[in-house]
This record gives sequence, C-alpha cells and structure tokens, in this order.
Amino acid sequence: MKKALFLLVVVLISTFMLAQVKEVIFWHSYSTTSGEYKLLTEEIIPEFEKEHSNIKITEVQVPYDEMRRRLIVSTAAAQYPDVMRMDIIWVPQFADIGVLLPVDEEFPEDFQQIKDDFLPGPLATNYWNGHYYGVPLDTNTRVLLWNRKMFEESGLSAPPTNMEEFIKDIKILTKDTDGDGQIDQWGFADTGFGPWNSMPWIYSFGGQILNPTNSKAEGYVNSPESVEALKTFKDLYNQGYIAPIGGGGIGVLEGYAEGIYAMTFSGPWAESIIKGQYPDAEINYSLVPAGKGGSKSVVGGEDIVIFNSTKYKNEAWEFVKFMTSKEVQLKFATVGQMPVLNGLLDEPEIKEHPFFPVYLKQLETAVPRSPHPAWNEINDIMDSAWQNAVIGGVNPQDALDNAAYEIEEILKEYR
Amino acid sequence: MTREKRRKSVGLLFVLPGLITYFAWTLYPIIKSFIMSLYEWNINPNISNKFIGLENYIELFQDPKFYVAPKNTIFYTLITVPGQMIFGFLVALLLNRKMKGQTLFRLLYYLPVVTSWVIVSILFQYLFAARGGLVNFLLKDMFHIIQKDIAWLSNPKTAMIPIYTLGIWKGIGWSMLIFLAGLQGIPKQLYEAASLDGANSWQTTTKITLPLMVPTIMFELVMLTIGGFNVFLSVYVMTGGGPMGSTEVLSSYMFKEAFDYFHFGYGSAISVIFFIIVFTIAQIQRKLLAKRSFY
Repeated sequence: MKKALFLLVVVLISTFMLAQVKEVIFWHSYSTTSGEYKLLTEEIIPEFEKEHSNIKITEVQVPYDEMRRRLIVSTAAAQYPDVMRMDIIWVPQFADIGVLLPVDEEFPEDFQQIKDDFLPGPLATNYWNGHYYGVPLDTNTRVLLWNRKMFEESGLSAPPTNMEEFIKDIKILTKDTDGDGQIDQWGFADTGFGPWNSMPWIYSFGGQILNPTNSKAEGYVNSPESVEALKTFKDLYNQGYIAPIGGGGIGVLEGYAEGIYAMTFSGPWAESIIKGQYPDAEINYSLVPAGKGGSKSVVGGEDIVIFNSTKYKNEAWEFVKFMTSKEVQLKFATVGQMPVLNGLLDEPEIKEHPFFPVYLKQLETAVPRSPHPAWNEINDIMDSAWQNAVIGGVNPQDALDNAAYEIEEILKEYR
Repeated sequence: MTREKRRKSVGLLFVLPGLITYFAWTLYPIIKSFIMSLYEWNINPNISNKFIGLENYIELFQDPKFYVAPKNTIFYTLITVPGQMIFGFLVALLLNRKMKGQTLFRLLYYLPVVTSWVIVSILFQYLFAARGGLVNFLLKDMFHIIQKDIAWLSNPKTAMIPIYTLGIWKGIGWSMLIFLAGLQGIPKQLYEAASLDGANSWQTTTKITLPLMVPTIMFELVMLTIGGFNVFLSVYVMTGGGPMGSTEVLSSYMFKEAFDYFHFGYGSAISVIFFIIVFTIAQIQRKLLAKRSFY
C-alpha cells in the first residue's frame, strides 16, 4: 500500500514537472550535413536548454526548396512552429497575411535594447507596416570576385575600385583567345537579370527601386541613375563584354575558377562551391566598384521570426535573443554563417577569417531588397524590365517607365 | 432488403474507395477552386476572405500575360502530342519484331518515362547550353548547319524548343509501350492471310496495322493531350517561364500567382479557366472516340 502511494506521488510529481517544460518548435533549413546543423544540435540547443531548464527546443529541419510549400500548407491548416529561421524576403509577405508576431510591440523594452546591435541592412528586412516582425539571424551579400591570374595576363594589377575602372577592365578582359572569331573569355559574368543581380549596379550607380519607405516607385525605379545603370549594363552585354546569361552550360563560379570569366559578384558560399570542385583555385575578393551612389551591394540571409499562434511567446523570444547573442553569432561564424551584429570586425573569429572582413565591410552599405509583401511581384517586374531592355531591345528608359507603372499598380493595393 | 437492392449495395461498396478518393482529390478541389476564384482569398484561415464576384476573371482577361500562357500551352500540346505518337509508333513497330536485345531496347526507350522531370530538365539545360552544349556542338561543329552558337534558353524565340524536345523525348517510351500493347493485340492470322494474298509490308502496315490501331491511337491522343496541358516542371526548371515570360504555360503562371505572389483567388481563377479548356477538349475527343466504327 505504502509502495503504491509512493509510486503515485512520483508519477504525479513527474507529470507535473513535465508539464512545466515548455516545448518550443524551431523550423530551419540548415542542411543536415552542414557544420551549422552540427553546431546547432550538438552545442547551441543543449546549451540553451541547460540555461533554461523549463524550455525544450525541438528543431525541425525542412529543406529550403520545400520550406515555402510547407509553410503555405501550415498556414492553410493554421499549424505553425513557434520559431522559424526564415528567408529575409519572405518575412514581409508572411507578416502581411497576419501570421507573424510583431516583436517590437510584444517586447518593447528588450527590442529597444537590442535593436541598435544589428547591422542596419539585415534589420530593415524585418520591417513592414510600422512594425518589426523578427530580427536578423544571419546575413550575406555579394562582393566582387576577381581572377588575379587573368588580370595579370591582361596587364592589370589590382581590382577595380570605381565604376569607370570596372567598365574599362571588363572590356580589357574580354577576349577571343583562340582566334576563331568568337569571344571565349569574358570580363564579367552573372547568373541572372533579377534584383539580386542588378541591385549592385542600380544602387552603386545611385539609383533605386523604391523610395526609402517602400511606398513609391515612380521617380525611383526610373530615375536617371537607375536608367543609366541599366543602359550601361545593356551596352556592355550587347557588345559582348558580359557573358550570355541564362544560356545553361558552365556555371558562373565554375567559369570563374576555370579562367573563362574574369569577374563576377557572389555571396560567401562561393568559397565552398569553388573549392569543392577546384581545390587549388585562388579566389580574390574586393568591394563592389563604387559609382555615384558609392559601393552598394544587396543584402541576403535569414531572419528569425515568431509565429503569433505560439503558446510560449516569452520562451520563444528567449530563444530568439539567445540565437542572436554575440557568443552564439560568433560560434556560427566559425562554421561559415555570417553574423548580423555591429562591431564584430575586431573579434578574432572575424578578423582572421579569409573573406568575412570584405563581406562585413560591404554589408555596412548593402541595401536590402525592399521589404514589402509584394516583393516577389516587384522582383519579377524588375527582372522582366532588365530582360526586355538587355535582350529584348527595349529602350532602358521605356522599360523602367513601364516597370514604374506596374509597380505603382501593385503598391496601390497596400496603401 | 430485396436481392436486387443488396446486389446494388454490394456494388456500391466495391466502388466506394474509388468514389471517396474521386470526391476528395478531384471533385472537391475543383469546386473549392471555383469558390476561391470568386474571393480575394487569404490563406490565413483567421483572416476573412473578401467576396469580389467575377473581378478575378475580369482582371485575368485584361492581363497580357494570360494570353501568352494558353498560347504556349496549346502550342506545346500541338507539337509534343504528335511528336510523341509518331516516334512512339515507329519505335513500337521496330520493337514489335523478333530480334536480339528486344527487352533491352524496350527498357532503354522506357527509361526516360520513369526518370524524374527535374533531373531530365537539368540534363536538357546542359544539352542546350549556349557554350559547350551538345546540341550546338552537333549543329555548329559537326554538321555546320549554323554559323554561331545559339543561346537556346536565353532567347525568347528559341526557348520553347528545348522544352518541346524534352517533352517529346520523355514521352516516346510511354507512347511506345501503349502502341506495343495495341500491336500485340492484332491477330496474327490477318498478317498471314495478307501475305498469302501477296501484300507487302507497306500494305500490311497501312491496311491492317494502322486501322486496327485506331482505338489505341485515340486513347493516346486523349491521354497525351491532357498530359500536354499539364506541362509544368520542365518549364519551371529549365526557364522559370522566362526569358521575358516567353515560355510561361498555364500551370507555371497559376503556380506563380498563387504560391509566389499569394494571389490564391486569382490563381484559382486561372485553374478554373484551365479546367474548362481541358474539359472541353477531352469532351470533344470523347465524342470522336465514341463514334468510332473504324473496322
């Protein structure tokens, strides 16, 4: 009898304790074979759980290509995770359909404290309609990759630092090396015509896509500077100085490593992609050449967001703060994820890194793709405008005037 | 319960699983799409949807992109369906003879059918690459048909060609298999009798094989047409609808509007129009099929 009573008490206590443990579900797309995943599951999460004994983090890995579909299905079924690492360009779109928690409103004091720690570009990607719907988790941008060997063969010694040099070098580096009348070496190559590719051109030329509050396109997307950027690119492309885009075949990074393309813009993943296939390749990084608008590139990366369906708001926020703390950010830097905090340039993990310093320097001025729920549409309009001008023969001014009109039509729906 | 009734209810039990799946996966989505197409639909169930009547349809008919997509889809079907059938028929005729390695060849021709669309789409991107692609190599360096490399996928005028080619190549195996089944169903006596009468192989093919294959041909026509209208992954992977929207097809256009832009109502309107087109064509083909008295 006594024994049974004792057992009952034990059972009761343990159920009570279990009930106290709050389970926070965390979705992410870290590849399960990556160093990031290993660090997350073997070090970061256990450490967090040790510090917060009442919180249990359940991480769920969803491959990036499936994530969007999974999220849409979850939305329709109203079944979300609590916390998620989300592509920066999705955040305003999901905020707009009302599934994300406005963290600045929910945790005003905390948010004010940490807000200024973040790099401005990545932080801006969380902003929509007066609120912040998440905080940056990791970031990246595109910088200039230049092939030193090809530069030297053409009598050039250093990467271009401004637009005039850049254009001049692109022309010098484009050649017909085997004399068959067809160009087989290009000064510059890129993977597409969309904003991810065109924004370094547009913004470095001093142009824009939308105004700073993301409410107007007319006069920005078709400003004289934006038109000039497109016109310059178009002329270089049509004169054969930029490698044909989207023709399939050898990838841009592979072509860079093989000495077919002398320059390209690329993100920090270039290193592992190139070294994976060409272990001896030398990769040289430099800032995007500065034009009238300075040296501007485009912000990529992920934010960490909380879904407003969560039962454990505060616990989720604790995890978010932990993930963006300096210690965790620096740990992730050692496995190749770029941190989102200001003032890390002097930390040894960053300073001694072979290429993070260039990227972090570029990030100080990098521009996010306009955080707007309709960004996907704006993105495609810009992509078409550039394609129409560059390969469709449309006058750049007309192409961008048309883009301005189409984007205005979309922005109208959100006013 | 009378015997008749019991017999009927047993029959119903047999078709019930099929009926349930039909209602759940076919009929319900069609009706739901139609309802959604009348709303400004928000996928978040906690936010109410706004009824806007036929506004999605009005907007759709004013959208220039909407006219490119059906045109491309119809051209794709018009080109790939005969392509698959002609090549499939020829291969089936060849493989219907007794010869060495018959099974191996049947397997080889069928292999593309069971290979993932994504993988073969990437493969075709390489074949049609502007620089170093096999197609340009054959046309320019081997046979000197063209002077300069063609950037197949980045030129709006040529971008559909790799997509057509892939569609035909991938479908030959299936078409061949159905034709083979049809060919095996033709009684041998007919050929024996014809050869006694002195018919040559051209005559037996056109006078015996082809007429007896008409039901198989009609079946393939219906199935391949529906398949042609459903073209999606090859476009999505190879061109993403570009360059300049020139390869957009109905399903890629619908996918983009709904899942990229979150215009679920508008996307539903596209799929309703899509449904009406395919349904009409299938009905016409069925009528033609029902009237058959070919032999």
